[in-house]
Amino acid sequence: MADFVQLIINGLAIGSVYALAAIGFVIVYSATGVVNFAAGQFVMFGTFAGVATLVNAQLPWPFAYGAALLIMALFGALFFVSVYLPLRRGSIVTIIIGTVAVSITMQNAALLSFGSWPFRLPSPVEDSAVSLGGAIISLHALAVVAVTAVMVAGLWLLFNRTSVGVGMRAVAQDVQAARLMGLKVNRLLAFSWILAAVLAGVAGLMLGPMWFADVNMGDPIALKAFAATIIGGFGSLPGAIVGGLFVGLSEVLGASYVSSAYKDLISFGIMIAFLLVRPQGVFGEKIQDRG
Amino acid sequence: MAMRIPLQIATAIIVLGGISGMVLPEYHLRLLNLSLISAVAVIGLNFAFGYAGLISLGHAAFVGMGGYGLAILTTTCGWSPWLAAPVAIAATAISAGLIGYPLLRLRGHYLALATLGLNVSFYIVTSNWIAMTGGTNGIARIPGLALGSFSFSGEHQFLWLALMVLALIAAAAAALHKSRLGREMIAVRDDEIASEMTGIDTTRIKIEAFVLSAICAAVAGCLFALHMRFVAPEDFTYAHSITYLAMLIVGGEGTIVGAVLGAVLLTFLPEWLRFLGTAYLFFFGLLVLGILVFLPTGLVGLGQRLSRRSAKTPLLASARAPEATS
Repeated sequence: MADFVQLIINGLAIGSVYALAAIGFVIVYSATGVVNFAAGQFVMFGTFAGVATLVNAQLPWPFAYGAALLIMALFGALFFVSVYLPLRRGSIVTIIIGTVAVSITMQNAALLSFGSWPFRLPSPVEDSAVSLGGAIISLHALAVVAVTAVMVAGLWLLFNRTSVGVGMRAVAQDVQAARLMGLKVNRLLAFSWILAAVLAGVAGLMLGPMWFADVNMGDPIALKAFAATIIGGFGSLPGAIVGGLFVGLSEVLGASYVSSAYKDLISFGIMIAFLLVRPQGVFGEKIQDRG
Repeated sequence: MAMRIPLQIATAIIVLGGISGMVLPEYHLRLLNLSLISAVAVIGLNFAFGYAGLISLGHAAFVGMGGYGLAILTTTCGWSPWLAAPVAIAATAISAGLIGYPLLRLRGHYLALATLGLNVSFYIVTSNWIAMTGGTNGIARIPGLALGSFSFSGEHQFLWLALMVLALIAAAAAALHKSRLGREMIAVRDDEIASEMTGIDTTRIKIEAFVLSAICAAVAGCLFALHMRFVAPEDFTYAHSITYLAMLIVGGEGTIVGAVLGAVLLTFLPEWLRFLGTAYLFFFGLLVLGILVFLPTGLVGLGQRLSRRSAKTPLLASARAPEATS
């Protein structure tokens, strides 16, 4: 039982990271229609922004985290200008290949600046653990779940209580109508990319202490975020959260109860099953294209 | 008349490939062989994506099924490659049909992510099913192909095999483009509802396009196994699927000439960027992005634009010809 509680918490922690990555992916997809294959590299950049500020520059952690997220926000803006704007008229496949090309460039930019040797990104609650009914739970895992919960609440407020968030939802529904209503569509689209990059940054900073900071960490995260998005429902924010937590739990529980070699097959098998039986996922996107 | 374009394409491939084979040094010859193998796979992808509009990010899994099929049959079962290749290709075609039947109801990015999941699953299975696939160590000591006493194992000898196969596949693809099936595929891509209204069984057409693409992929996989004499899960990851798609887009989607050009360009591009040292992949990504932004119709589209500009009179017939025929 103690083991089980421990696994559940670890699963929720890694699932929270996937959920944040998936939320960033979904925000960009809803606002711009772009299926961002560089989403995993965004998280990798977040981790390495943390390495740069926390490990290399030795800043105290509140400043280091702030600086890392600021770097990510600037990166989101740069991505909007240099990748999204030139590609936005392209077909789905052009955008897929384009974002993959950028992710190759991002991965190698990280490789050139940080080298192939993995880093250890420390956590502010390093090495502390709490005991819960016999289970030893790392404080970092609990902090990750808590931070994700706060982020989700913040996003809910943003999208439902602020004019920027409501404007973003309007753009996601109908760009033309939003423009006719006098919304600054381009500014809102740019903000979607920045928000996605910052969320990926938070995910990367929290993931760093759980995995090693490795320049190749982006692809596995992107694949998990895709699986989470499909399972939860393409384009749905609650879906991204549920899907992310589900993928994290299935990975951790699958590894210890079924087979550690085939743990990833479980999430992808379930993703394909969802596509075949319920392509709109748990929460569903009410659009065509599912056949 | 109907066979003129396929014959032209096949002749061009053999002649240009043969000349390159005489002038290129050994190492570049190896790259040329790899690019021809990719070209076979990309022509296959052109059936699914270029003609029928099915976005597949799982093409490398079918290349892998062909490669692993040949590898297992020749090493574990001790078959001759001549017998193993057709069996591996047929098995891949059947699997593609079985997979395609449920999967091809999906469209757009749903299909893209489903096929991506398929490719990732293929990787997980091949790297863990050690009894069958040797796991991450792969399968080595695949026998080379020989015809009597002539062995296709050297780079020069293999080049002729690859050129022959590519020419054959390219000619068949060009002939198919002109056929009823080819036109039906394009109709399904352009407007699924309208083509259904005219009596086309769109589900059947999509599955046929998918199976045809898997057959070419399996042929490429067999060639790959015979060339490298070794297969491993790393050779058939979803990154390879994306590379195949990139080759098709960079060359010019929907055209056979584009598929071949794109395969050759993207195989040699990293080589040409070697002078950048460790930064070459950094620029590779930027360059591919640049091609997508500035040449949205690929190299073939660029060629058409240039030829249209040089010919002052708008020769619509000649400008359109490559688009409609190649």
